[in-house]
Amino acid sequence: MEPDVSIETSSMIRVAVLPIGHVPPVLLRDYHSMLLRHQTIPLSAISSFYTEHQKSPFSNQPWDSGSLRFKFILGGAPPSPWEDFQSNRKTLAVIGICHCPSSPDLDSVIDQFDSARRAYASALVDRCFAFCPGDSQLEDGSKKGGNLMLFPPADRATQEFHLQTMMQDIAASLLMEFEKWVLKAEPAGTIVKTPLDSQATLNSEEVIKAKKRRLGRAQKTMGDYCLLAGSPVDANAHYTTALELARLTGDFFWYAGALEGNVCALLIDRMGEKDSAVEDEVRFRYNSVISHYRKSFIQEHAQRVSPLTFELEATLKMARFLCRRELAKEVVGYLTSAADGAKSLIDASDRLVLYVEIARLYGTLGYQRKAAFFSRAVAQLYLQQDNRLAAISAMQVLAMTTRAYRVQSRASITEDSPSKKEIGSSLAEGGKMLHQSVVSLFESQWSTLQMVVLREILLSAVRAGDPLAAWGAAARLLRSYYPLITPAGQNGLASALSNSADRLPSGTRCADPALPFISAIQQEKTGGAGAANTGPFIYTPFSKGDANTNTKQELIWIVGEPVQILVELANPCGFDLRVDSIYLSVPSGNFDAFPVTVNLPPNSSKVVTLSGIPTSVGTVTIPGCTVHCFGVITEHVFKDVDNLLLGATQGLVLSDPFRCCGSARLKNISVPNISVVPPLPLLVSRVVGGDGAIILHEGEIHDLWISLANAGTVPVEQAHVSLSGKNQDSVISIASEILNSALPLRPGAEVTLPVTLRAWRHVLADADTAGRSGSGSTVRHSKDGSNPTLLIHYAGPLTNIGDPATNKSDVPPGRRLVVPLQICVLPGLSFVKARLLSMEIPAQVGGNLPKPVHIEDSPTEALSSPTKMDRLVKIDPFRGSWGLRFLELELSNPTDVVFEITVSVQLENSSHDHRLSGDRDAAEYGYPKTRIDRDCSARVLIPLEHFKLPVLDDSFFVKDNQADGANSGRNSSFSERNTKAELNASIKNLISKIKVRWQSGRNSSGELNIKDAIQAALQTSVMDVLLPDPLTFCFRLSRYALEEPENSSSHNSPNVQVHSDAAKGSVLAHEMTPMEVVVRNNTKEKIKMSLSITCRDVAGENCVEGTKATVLCSGVLSGITVEVPSLQEIKHSFSLYFLVPGEYTLVAASVIDDANDILRARARTKSSDEPIFCRGPPYHVRVVGTA
Amino acid sequence: MATTACFVIVSRNDIPIYEAEVGSAAKREDAAQLHQFILHAALDIVQDLAWTTSAMYLKAIDRFNDLVVSVYVTADIHTRLMLLHDSRNDDGIKSFFQEVHELYIKTLLNPLYLPGSRITSSHFDTKVRALARKYL
Repeated sequence: MEPDVSIETSSMIRVAVLPIGHVPPVLLRDYHSMLLRHQTIPLSAISSFYTEHQKSPFSNQPWDSGSLRFKFILGGAPPSPWEDFQSNRKTLAVIGICHCPSSPDLDSVIDQFDSARRAYASALVDRCFAFCPGDSQLEDGSKKGGNLMLFPPADRATQEFHLQTMMQDIAASLLMEFEKWVLKAEPAGTIVKTPLDSQATLNSEEVIKAKKRRLGRAQKTMGDYCLLAGSPVDANAHYTTALELARLTGDFFWYAGALEGNVCALLIDRMGEKDSAVEDEVRFRYNSVISHYRKSFIQEHAQRVSPLTFELEATLKMARFLCRRELAKEVVGYLTSAADGAKSLIDASDRLVLYVEIARLYGTLGYQRKAAFFSRAVAQLYLQQDNRLAAISAMQVLAMTTRAYRVQSRASITEDSPSKKEIGSSLAEGGKMLHQSVVSLFESQWSTLQMVVLREILLSAVRAGDPLAAWGAAARLLRSYYPLITPAGQNGLASALSNSADRLPSGTRCADPALPFISAIQQEKTGGAGAANTGPFIYTPFSKGDANTNTKQELIWIVGEPVQILVELANPCGFDLRVDSIYLSVPSGNFDAFPVTVNLPPNSSKVVTLSGIPTSVGTVTIPGCTVHCFGVITEHVFKDVDNLLLGATQGLVLSDPFRCCGSARLKNISVPNISVVPPLPLLVSRVVGGDGAIILHEGEIHDLWISLANAGTVPVEQAHVSLSGKNQDSVISIASEILNSALPLRPGAEVTLPVTLRAWRHVLADADTAGRSGSGSTVRHSKDGSNPTLLIHYAGPLTNIGDPATNKSDVPPGRRLVVPLQICVLPGLSFVKARLLSMEIPAQVGGNLPKPVHIEDSPTEALSSPTKMDRLVKIDPFRGSWGLRFLELELSNPTDVVFEITVSVQLENSSHDHRLSGDRDAAEYGYPKTRIDRDCSARVLIPLEHFKLPVLDDSFFVKDNQADGANSGRNSSFSERNTKAELNASIKNLISKIKVRWQSGRNSSGELNIKDAIQAALQTSVMDVLLPDPLTFCFRLSRYALEEPENSSSHNSPNVQVHSDAAKGSVLAHEMTPMEVVVRNNTKEKIKMSLSITCRDVAGENCVEGTKATVLCSGVLSGITVEVPSLQEIKHSFSLYFLVPGEYTLVAASVIDDANDILRARARTKSSDEPIFCRGPPYHVRVVGTA
Repeated sequence: MATTACFVIVSRNDIPIYEAEVGSAAKREDAAQLHQFILHAALDIVQDLAWTTSAMYLKAIDRFNDLVVSVYVTADIHTRLMLLHDSRNDDGIKSFFQEVHELYIKTLLNPLYLPGSRITSSHFDTKVRALARKYL
């Protein structure tokens, strides 16, 4: 059988193209391709070369439209035994091709050509084309003449023109030869034989029969030559005669041959136009051809020779003629019957040709799988021949089937199937995708077939000595089908891989990755989403959104700074896998990847950190890793593994390589888009004095020095410090101005940033555990979550200043440094309780009003006074009595250190002039330190003073008044509430001034946070502490008042020791003592009241009135109706006559008439009818006897 | 019972979702592979033929040597039940296909079965083999 047959083959002149001498293969192919352009030479073109020697037998030759066809056979072909039967099988011309530079001696070329063409006895014309001759050769060759044609070196177009001329010459010569042959054959009747004709002794009957047949066969042969000469009409005439004769003689074989020629002549005549009538005619005649070939089958010759090949060829010709999509069914029928014939073919090479042709025809029809099936059959036939060339052919044929079987090498996939790529990318973006599109990734996966094909490719590649193809096939086999391969088979493949690699030069790359499977996995820092997924629920509403946001995330890398990507490697096979090196593959080239070597035991997986350094600004895409394993370098694309894993979840893939290695389900991600930015500064922080947690007692104030060093290559130009995390208020101050003043911070420079901390309240849970452990010494680290963190945002210089077009308004990227302030809080002093202590010491009635002790007393003076405690006893200026008010704090020390407590009251410079301390600068009043030993308790007294407001006015009850102003007495609950709010504000204000500091050891100090406790203690009596009474009552002896007028109101008078004043005010018995009571109105309203004065003796009896009165009085003592203008005082004079010396107490009291709301609120009255009763403090009068 | 029979269900996207050698002949690996190759190649013919007829049972549509491929196409054209056999028991094959089709529909109704994925149910396998014994 012959390859590439078609109906028109009968009209083609076979030309052997032989290389003469050494012709480099590339050039030979080039020259051959030049020849191929001249497969069809029109008759009109050769008329100039044609000379009619005698009357042409081709009387109907179409000189204007006809043509000669050539079939060039490179390397020639051995003579066929059937060439008498079909003249187109004869090699009718020989063309030698010589490349002059490699064969300098033209004589030897001529000799070689002569000997070569001698093998082609049937050749009618021979020429030797010598290309690229040198000058001497040109000279030499022109003398030689003969068959040697020299093609002088020229450009391609000239050479082609030259060649065309030569071919036209050959065509003309052939035509003349055909004429000669036909003329010679007609009268003589050449004997033509086929292998079918018995060579055995012919009996007489057969000889007669053969003579009869001879005429028909001669006619058929002449028809063949007519066809070759391009004259279909002449051919048809001869064939018609031949058909008649063959039918008469029962020569079915030749009948079929003539009919074939007849059809060919018909087609040539129609010049290739195919209408349905022609098609039907061809179909009809060819079916007859096929049946006649079948009829000519002679049983006795079956072992030796069979016309089957002609039948099959005819079937293939028919199929090729009809080979169109619309007629697919019919063609398939012909091809199926042709395939059936393969069994009966004796010659293996015939079968090979048959399968090749069937595969090609199926391929033309678009039946890729059918084509692949027969291609594989071809490959199997090749593999049966045990030689290297056959193996190479087998390998190449199998490579063609890989597409249909979906086992392509990645190298061949790259261009085709853009749709698949799109799917892959959409998959990477979308995160979730439709089942259908997942399925389409695994379309047509017949794993059994794929494995067989790959194994055959491997086998043929090994035999063909192509280690790279073998490696690729073994890699594909191992990677895709490891679950179907036994461990022994896996080992075999592994050794096949290494054996192939041994024969490859080192550094060979292969498009097909082998093992391991590599998948990019999530960095663990975003474990939140992962944790949500590992919950007990199949569905978590949070996981989906997370998946989307995670895939969308973008990374920014910085030039020159190492980065890391986590990948998971899996070896699901039963052998030890050594990955010689693995590194990130970056096609964009602006990344230096660092290789890593990994060993993977059988059925194992490993998480590996791959790192590298971006080298230039731009984008970095990381499609996968480059792996050097089994001696070959391969690219492993992450997306493939992602697709594989998706397929595994959909039940489309045999197994998930990671899961079958028993790896925990790590969340695999697609590597996001990465952009690389210019170098940024890099701050490195260090806590001076060690990075360990600082152990602080509750409330301890501690200074911390954080040293920041620029480890980058660019100066820090901008920086901003902020806080985050819990307990932010524990950071009292950050000296960010030090950082700012240090800017720009050059690379390598360092700056130290002081931070002041105050330890926060010890967490209750911690306190519990500390208490349970028995002693307070347990160092229990508080949870990390409660630490505040220092955030430093910083950036380098602006880039591209010279190019304003590109950096319109883009802010250069900056960085954030997170400095966790590691603090461990220990329980410090613990607060037990607080309460308010107050006492009143009655004043002596003297000549003067008791003078208020003012806070303008300078501290130095206070310190210089002999008894410090005296200073604490102060006259309440509004009450007129000696008042002492302390806030007592009970503190216990559960720790093992000693604390010293300092109480101070901070008075700030206030702009409110109604403050008593209004004109003072901030000052602190120190009191003696209190020492609390370990495991001891102590009480600390905080004197409450300086807090009184000078005036009882509506500013205190401002809301209250407004409400009353709108509609008086409407609802007291509302005003009550307002009052409370105001009160609270005042209390807070008061409390914030009280600081309780402690010190422990040399360098540990802090402040107690006891605001709440103080507030609780003061809550009930705050009004008394803060507000003055509405009225102040004072008693004095009138005579002293006369002596020292105006002195009482003077606030500037130097401090006078109070008791010395009081000493002067002693009263003599039996003497009229003029006295006066001073009533001062502390409100801004006029107060109308009825004042009464009582005098009591030591026993508390009223000694003015009654029967046993020991004190006589002149003047009104009770029911005195007076009116006091606002902020003024009035005097009421009276005289007392003490009969008995001793101690007496004078008390003034008054009932306020028409009290307003302020007074009511102050007096805490419930109803508006209740009389407001004001009582002054008691005054002592010491009456001494006259004796 | 047929000596050679190979039954395959091919999903849309041409993935074999169920494969079974149901012949009585001794199992040989290379033969089984050949059967699959023939069935795979026959898909080309099925894809054209399925659109030319309204019948679901396409009869014998392809052959290679003595092995005949019969195909039954479900109504949505996507799923093809293909049988490679060497016997000519047309009626039996038709009944076999119809019953397997019913089984396949039952599988599809399983909410846990993802259409287009491999049928791994052993129940299905047992039933198919029983049907093969009965009809082929």
